[in-house]
Amino acid sequence: MKQFLILMSLMFFAIGLSYGQRTITGTVSDGTETLIGANVLVKGTTIGVATDFDGKFSLEVPDDAQFIEISYTGYSTQEVDITGQSEFNIVMQEGETLQEAVVLGYRSSTKPKSNVAVKTLSSSTIQDRPNPSVVQTLQGQVAGLNIVTSSGQPGGNSEIILRGVNSIGGNVEPLFIIDGVPVDEDNFRSINQNEIESVTVLKDAGATAIYGNRGANGVIVIKTKNGGYNSGLKIRYSGQVSRSSRQAIDYDLMDAQEQLRLEAKYGSGRGSTISEDSIGRVQGTDWLDVFLRDPITHSHNLALSFGGENFNVYSNFGYLDSEGILIDSKLERYNWRTNLTGKSADEKFSYGTNISLNYSKNNEPNSVGSSAINRNYVLGAFQSVPYISLDEYVDGAGLLSPLTFANTPLFLWDRVQTYTRFENELKAILSIDASYKIAEGLTFSSTLGGDFTDQNLTRAEGPESFNALLFAETGNTTPGFQDQANTRVFSYNWLNSLNYTKQFGGAHTIDVGLYTEYFRAFYDRFGYRNEGLDPRTFYPGDGSGFIDDNSDNDFFADQANANILKAGLFSYFGSLDYDYGNKYGIGFTLRRDASYRFASSNKWGTFYAVSARWNINEESFMEGSPFNLLKLRASYGTTGNQRIVDSGGFLNYFGGGDLTENFFATSSGYGGSNSIGLSQIGNSTLKWETVNQVNVGLDFELLSNRLRGAVDVYQKTTEDLFQGRPISAVNATTLINANTGSLRNRGFDFDISYDFLVNPNGLNMRAYFNTNFNKQEIIDLPTPDGTIQSGNVITREGSILREYYVYQYAGVNPANGNLLFLDANGDITENPSPDTDRVYTDKNRYADYQGGFGMFADYKGIFLDLSFNYVTGVYKFDFDLAGAMDPTNIGQFRHSRDMLKAWENPGDVTNVASLNATNLALDSSSDRWLMNASYLRLRFIRLGYNFSPTIVNKLGVSNLGVYFNAENVVTWTPWRGYDVETTETQRGYPAPRTLSLGLDIEF
Amino acid sequence: MKLKTYIYTLILLFVGLSSCNDAIEITQPGRLSADKAFQSVEDLKLGLFSAYDIPDVTHEITFASTFTDEISIGFDNGGQGLGDGRYGFILNSTSTAPANIWINNYALINSVNRLIEGADLITPTASEQAEYDNILGQAYALRAYAHFQLFSYFTTDYTDGTALSAIALDYVPTIDQELGRSTNAEVVAQITADLNQANSLMNDDTSDPFFLNKDVVMAMRARLAAYTGDYAAAKTLANDLLTKYPLTDQTTYLEMFDDENQAECIFLLQRTIGDDHDTQATGGGGWVGALYAFVNATITGSPYFEMGRALFNELQDGDIRYNVLVDDTSLIDSEYPNSSNFKDNDVLVISKYSGSEGQPLMNDLKVFRSAEMLFLVAEAEADAGNFSEVARLLAMLRTARFGSDQPELTLNSQAEAFGAILDERRIELAFEGHRWKDLKRLGIRAGRSVNRDPLDCAVNGACNIASDDYRFTLPIPLAEMNGNSVIREQQNPGY
Repeated sequence: MKQFLILMSLMFFAIGLSYGQRTITGTVSDGTETLIGANVLVKGTTIGVATDFDGKFSLEVPDDAQFIEISYTGYSTQEVDITGQSEFNIVMQEGETLQEAVVLGYRSSTKPKSNVAVKTLSSSTIQDRPNPSVVQTLQGQVAGLNIVTSSGQPGGNSEIILRGVNSIGGNVEPLFIIDGVPVDEDNFRSINQNEIESVTVLKDAGATAIYGNRGANGVIVIKTKNGGYNSGLKIRYSGQVSRSSRQAIDYDLMDAQEQLRLEAKYGSGRGSTISEDSIGRVQGTDWLDVFLRDPITHSHNLALSFGGENFNVYSNFGYLDSEGILIDSKLERYNWRTNLTGKSADEKFSYGTNISLNYSKNNEPNSVGSSAINRNYVLGAFQSVPYISLDEYVDGAGLLSPLTFANTPLFLWDRVQTYTRFENELKAILSIDASYKIAEGLTFSSTLGGDFTDQNLTRAEGPESFNALLFAETGNTTPGFQDQANTRVFSYNWLNSLNYTKQFGGAHTIDVGLYTEYFRAFYDRFGYRNEGLDPRTFYPGDGSGFIDDNSDNDFFADQANANILKAGLFSYFGSLDYDYGNKYGIGFTLRRDASYRFASSNKWGTFYAVSARWNINEESFMEGSPFNLLKLRASYGTTGNQRIVDSGGFLNYFGGGDLTENFFATSSGYGGSNSIGLSQIGNSTLKWETVNQVNVGLDFELLSNRLRGAVDVYQKTTEDLFQGRPISAVNATTLINANTGSLRNRGFDFDISYDFLVNPNGLNMRAYFNTNFNKQEIIDLPTPDGTIQSGNVITREGSILREYYVYQYAGVNPANGNLLFLDANGDITENPSPDTDRVYTDKNRYADYQGGFGMFADYKGIFLDLSFNYVTGVYKFDFDLAGAMDPTNIGQFRHSRDMLKAWENPGDVTNVASLNATNLALDSSSDRWLMNASYLRLRFIRLGYNFSPTIVNKLGVSNLGVYFNAENVVTWTPWRGYDVETTETQRGYPAPRTLSLGLDIEF
Repeated sequence: MKLKTYIYTLILLFVGLSSCNDAIEITQPGRLSADKAFQSVEDLKLGLFSAYDIPDVTHEITFASTFTDEISIGFDNGGQGLGDGRYGFILNSTSTAPANIWINNYALINSVNRLIEGADLITPTASEQAEYDNILGQAYALRAYAHFQLFSYFTTDYTDGTALSAIALDYVPTIDQELGRSTNAEVVAQITADLNQANSLMNDDTSDPFFLNKDVVMAMRARLAAYTGDYAAAKTLANDLLTKYPLTDQTTYLEMFDDENQAECIFLLQRTIGDDHDTQATGGGGWVGALYAFVNATITGSPYFEMGRALFNELQDGDIRYNVLVDDTSLIDSEYPNSSNFKDNDVLVISKYSGSEGQPLMNDLKVFRSAEMLFLVAEAEADAGNFSEVARLLAMLRTARFGSDQPELTLNSQAEAFGAILDERRIELAFEGHRWKDLKRLGIRAGRSVNRDPLDCAVNGACNIASDDYRFTLPIPLAEMNGNSVIREQQNPGY
């Protein structure tokens, strides 16, 4: 019947309200004052109106309408029976909103009853953001969650770290669960942010220990939207158009003429071969403008939902076409999701199924970050000499002679024309869950979910491209290659649980859960590389132009490859929660985990947690206090990490699957013959890496919930750290994967938000602030001297992780223009020793403080959202600056104007060394280029307008909004480089600034 | 009643899942466990092919070229040699050359020791015995070669038996072992023992210079004898080899460096299309010519290193070695010291490794050649004071290279004799990884040191380094010291 009604109301809407109607009128007040702009809606329909300045409304309703719903911000929504009545006086009740459910993954709880450190973000934080990566949107929103994005590629991968790095060699990123399915944390480009209802970050062991082997780095639980029972059909369209551009840089790069004069002075490159007159006539090309661009992105999203008594559905279709600022980078994706939820009439049985299908085509230029002058477009943008003009380009063959470094931008421009690289990806996340109430309080549930990805990578280097011709064998007239690889990863997770809840003796409640979880993952990959392409018939991705092998030479001998990997985990675990009168609570979890990685060494790990809370506001002595919630929490527990190597990407589940054993391999040996050789030296003592975490926190809500927040203090100790342990080269390798040492992270999270203006009819303002301070310390490193050094970085007992270990740069010698450094004794030297003069710097690339703050304001439908984020205590080598200041690059690459200050004559006091200084190379082990990469960024602005219900109703829609977004607006930082946030140390793809316009319509 | 049914079902389900060992006991496909690696003589042969794939003298070649005076910074250089300071004589435990040479040779030793231990467990049939012995013989010879290379680079003085050397290793170590350095006497003793063992096990077929055979063992013995100062032994061995591998005519010599013949080669490492070294690796490990140029050995092949002007000045017209070493496309400015643009107008493209099989820059790596044997004989004569014999031998070489009779030098002292040998070695063995070791061994006796043209070293002022400088012994690399606390206390002097 209900569905019928919904269908009926739909038809009403469609054919213009021509059926029988009657008019109802009324007033809405809060008991003392009338409320202006309260929404009055016929339940299950889109027929509605807003109250006028006197709080009055008048609404034509269908004859058979039964209920109206009245809603107003800050008040509980009311449902009023209208049968047989046409005049209403409605009094709204203030603020008694439902207790928000807290999603804990396997379980859920309510805010007062949760014992653990969690933070939930709602869809409003995430949806309609122009950034295609949902993960990047979370930066600055959750205390302790730091997201570092190393690439401006649309939808590119980010490094996600919660409360500091727990591991040295192993995986450091949290577990991501979407609708009960664990998913690959490195692949979010296919996920549509508009489908997400909430994101919950589980931080302490009390919350994560139940995830046992995968919870060590925290857990992020993502829930997608549902239709909701007894809700009318809702259709929401949102669309967006964005324009991206590059962020500002501060290298003060030379223009064409300055660059030529520098070359003339140094005696190298084009500048040294032409006269000053000719230099004066040179017009430059700024290659930043050629390889970087200001592209347009557009996205469209259409969501439909409705629900009947026992069934509801949510469907979403999304389309995104996003170009990156780097030439040839692009992401195009289609998302389709349908979530169905249903229950039996007696409410004993319930079920749900979530189907998400995503298809994307991703053009991601490779070799970004590398020094390949013929492959890295970013290098072309940043380092190309500006006096080379695009007009000098004819074709690939024309660049072969003369071959000079200075032609870098032309090599790369040729690559843009002739090189193809794209990935077609189909990603499906499917889950089905069912639960049955066996008896009062006893429920059995089962969730089966799968994450499937099929990716096809195509790379082709055209036969007439510069690169193909350049590296062609003598006599090879059809060079070039095409490489295709198909990778399929499928993982599934099956969780069964039995939960029992019982309330007894009035105030006592217990919840018991028993669970088993079974996880398997499969990887297979195959591909080929075809050598030789016929330019007449070549088309990227197609095989018509393939050249066959012949008996004269091996130029066209093709290669095939295939790889299969498997992974698996099995766990059983239980939880017990006890509550006394909503005042005190205690929880236990215990979990046993087995990992395939340690099958032959230490298969099983046991992890547990204890958590407790005291709801102080429930105590009688708190009566009359301003606190709505004051809760003290504490937890202690252990979680495990079995991902011993941080493989990244598709190999996440599979990397280092059997490192405990020695292996030989059959492979190509001497002169290409078959051979048998050692491929892996095993470490038979490998075991779980364990994180012990203690957390004490306080949740508070006061002043009628207007001031809300939480503060948490934690200490995490990782034992049996995964890291490469140096071993003697007599083992044919100098590093072996091992459990070595122990690391501690200590810090606090602070999160607060305050609604400092609450005027239902006027200006509302809310501000928030969150911060995390985290400090690592290596507490044990059982190498002979308690240190492991790797180049300019050292990890040692008693200090921070990956501390920079360099000698100090001390300027330029006024006598000869050489670089000066400090030796170990602090004395000036021109010739420091990288073995004996290094000093500990107490600096590393991990943040000390990081967090975000912002505000939200609305006034009669106009709204403004501002968010900032900041990071302090991050240091990185600015190798891009080093390149722009390197005299040995003169003649080949672009320089900073700072080079004009180079030392020239004895007595010159400057901080730029002589162009011919004899010890320039020694700066590579010094802190000369070590820079502070702290920053404050105005990350996001949204300014919009939601049309008033009166206007909206006239348009026949239920909601209409327009907005303007800006992302990465301004950054304040001492860092001079292209993108302070990137982890890429050199020639990386900087994140863009993005401006967008959007439209939301709801029917 | 109904409840019980459910509970039983659930219990069954839980128990069922508990036995899900298939999730944990996983064998990845394609694994060959260590205990099954070597089960037959055929397996041993394949193991030997794996070991042969490891030795790689490109690391030594690029180090000798950039650190001494074989190259100069090319007009199309992108920081190679300068960025890491090699061309500026910067050498320390973080430098790449010591790490590459150390790690590469210990990888070879590890591989060979596993092969030898694997062979112990196989009992060959009578018909397999000969092949089994020959495989094992080559394994011992490879182990000797690797130790010899380490000895050549990491000890202060070849003739001092008590000086610290490499780690002598004739077994498969475990991952927690931290071994100290052996003395030269110990390392030389092991090399000698391995060479003796090799010689007794190998067959008499010496026709294939791409594999170790009894002639290569003899060449190693000759070189080792010369390095350690036993010139009498060196002379006999080297003379025998010189007789067996005589100097060729100009055409054959030219073709030898195109890999069309192996006339003067006693041993070379094969490099062919599709093998593991078929790659452009400017740091070593791939095409040997890529140590000097990115694309090919012509002026349009992006020669980031060019021939050092001082070395070029030693070359004479008519010498076939000029044709081998210098590409025709080179730009030669005879007035180069007064050139307005020395860098762009005087471009000396190195063409010793111009490529083979159609693959530019890919060539076999010549490890032992008869010319080196001639030099060893000459050194022995110089050491013994037979200066005229030195002059005769050098003239014999030059006659072969010029294709016409060349005059004998007048040599009046040991210094002059060694000086003449070193000068000739500089040309004959250029870009083959000898120069640094030759200066270390003979520089002081010959009165020679690194000799760069002033224009070549204007870029960084690094023109000279004495032949007894501490940098004529490589430092123990940091990578080894990180995993070996014993050797950390045994660093070579100066570092």
